[in-house]
Amino acid sequence: MTVIRPSDEYLEQPYYRHLAEGTLHLNCCNDCGAAHHPPSPICPKCRSFNTGWKPASGRATLNSFAEARHAVHPMLGPKVPYVITLVDLEEGVRLVSGIPEGMRFDLKVGMPLECKVIRFDEAFALPYFLPVGEGGA
Amino acid sequence: MKTSIVGLGQTEFSKNSGRSELKLALEAILGALEDAGLEVNDIDGLVRYTWDNTSEAAIVNALGLPSLSYYGETEFGGVNCCGAVAQASAAIEAGLANCVVFYRALNARSGVRFGRGERVLAEEGDWLVSRQPEPPGDIYSAPFGLLVPGQHHALYAQSYMGHYGLDEERFTDMLGGVAVTQRGYANRNPRALLKDKSLSLDDYRAGRVITHPLRIYDYCLETDGAMAMVIVSQEKARELSGKAVDVLAAGQYIFPGSVPMYLYAEKTYSLAPEGAAQQLFGRAGLSASDIDVAMIYDATSMMVPIALEDFGFIGRGEAADFLSSGGNGPGGPLPVNTHGGLLSEGYFHGLNTIAEGVRQLRGDSHNQVEGAETAFVTLRGASSMVLGRA
Ligand SMILES: [Zn+2]
Repeated sequence: MTVIRPSDEYLEQPYYRHLAEGTLHLNCCNDCGAAHHPPSPICPKCRSFNTGWKPASGRATLNSFAEARHAVHPMLGPKVPYVITLVDLEEGVRLVSGIPEGMRFDLKVGMPLECKVIRFDEAFALPYFLPVGEGGA
Repeated sequence: MKTSIVGLGQTEFSKNSGRSELKLALEAILGALEDAGLEVNDIDGLVRYTWDNTSEAAIVNALGLPSLSYYGETEFGGVNCCGAVAQASAAIEAGLANCVVFYRALNARSGVRFGRGERVLAEEGDWLVSRQPEPPGDIYSAPFGLLVPGQHHALYAQSYMGHYGLDEERFTDMLGGVAVTQRGYANRNPRALLKDKSLSLDDYRAGRVITHPLRIYDYCLETDGAMAMVIVSQEKARELSGKAVDVLAAGQYIFPGSVPMYLYAEKTYSLAPEGAAQQLFGRAGLSASDIDVAMIYDATSMMVPIALEDFGFIGRGEAADFLSSGGNGPGGPLPVNTHGGLLSEGYFHGLNTIAEGVRQLRGDSHNQVEGAETAFVTLRGASSMVLGRA
């Protein structure tokens, strides 16, 4: 269970609203189809303003990971160690993610992952990525 | 470029300066002018980081400068340390100013600490809340606990390890080769915060892990203080004392995902595409093999192996061999961070990184590289510089 959340004005935006409804959606271009993250008013591939949202497949590979052992805030004291990840989605975008509290995996750069959305309350959920076959998707 | 750095000024490096950032800035600026043999009233341009808490107005008013005909600001702090020199140089070459001071003042230990989550989060009941639109600690990364630059660097480090298949021992020897070598330099540098603290490879290996795979000794020092440097045209520099060092090339190079924190760029085991090195060395008319000494912005030790590879000083994947065998040390093929670096001298947000390059070419470093004619400076390619003996 994380103790850090975006402020309400960001939770009301489509990216977090879709997650709170249970699925990871990516900001996508309606003209060329490219996905991008973080969300943006314009497609960085074809510069179209005609963008929307599409559900992500949830398939990704592990770009990198790091285990925070030192708490950089007093409220994170009970949370360390925790694992932060960088994941490359098959749609061609990168997300910052992590391993959910209480889970431990033998991680390797390049390994396949799948998404598991975890809800904390009605307004806030996060997209975690677990090794394939470990309870994601 | 046709400019030179002619003066350096700084306060002491400390953990608690006991004075305001404005006072620190003024002390450093006056010191730099004195070093250059110029009058304070000669200043007609200022360059600063947007992140600096002092303003052009505060400096002009405090010093009672007759007039300022140019002032400029650069983003992302140390990311743009060499970019700030490029900006000052461009202003001089464009005729906008004659004598530009680049300064940075920060109480980064006794004041707001970059290594703390409090910088980017607000406490609201049982929650910590992010309102940051961009990393570090932004609304997309903070909820996973990615909050401070040092954690980002652990991600680059693991990516590098994974890409080259380094085991923990070889990786440890590589970064230990940075931290231990630079501490040795700092032990011979009277300015260095850690001049009296030795560090052996065994000490390094036993260091507390902060964010795996990085240890306490891989991290830069949180520091209070200020530094300033004076930049003028090469023509004017020749009329001054013999302390001038020429800016052969200085520039910026960012691309999608590379700033502020390099989370979204394609590669994470490399932090600068080939274009960054080509642009820099092309402008300088030199190649990596022409460089005598390198100053690599080391927010963490991981910046050193990556920059050495990204700028072609060594081949891809060769950093572990180079650094664990002392290639960066005294007498090595490319001495790196001979002041001790941000790891062991202190952290003036890249200005002390540049200053050591200047000192090497003046011939007055405490770890002088004999006959050094050229110095390279970079922050992971986002801004870079080549300095030459005047
Ligand atoms: Zn498009």
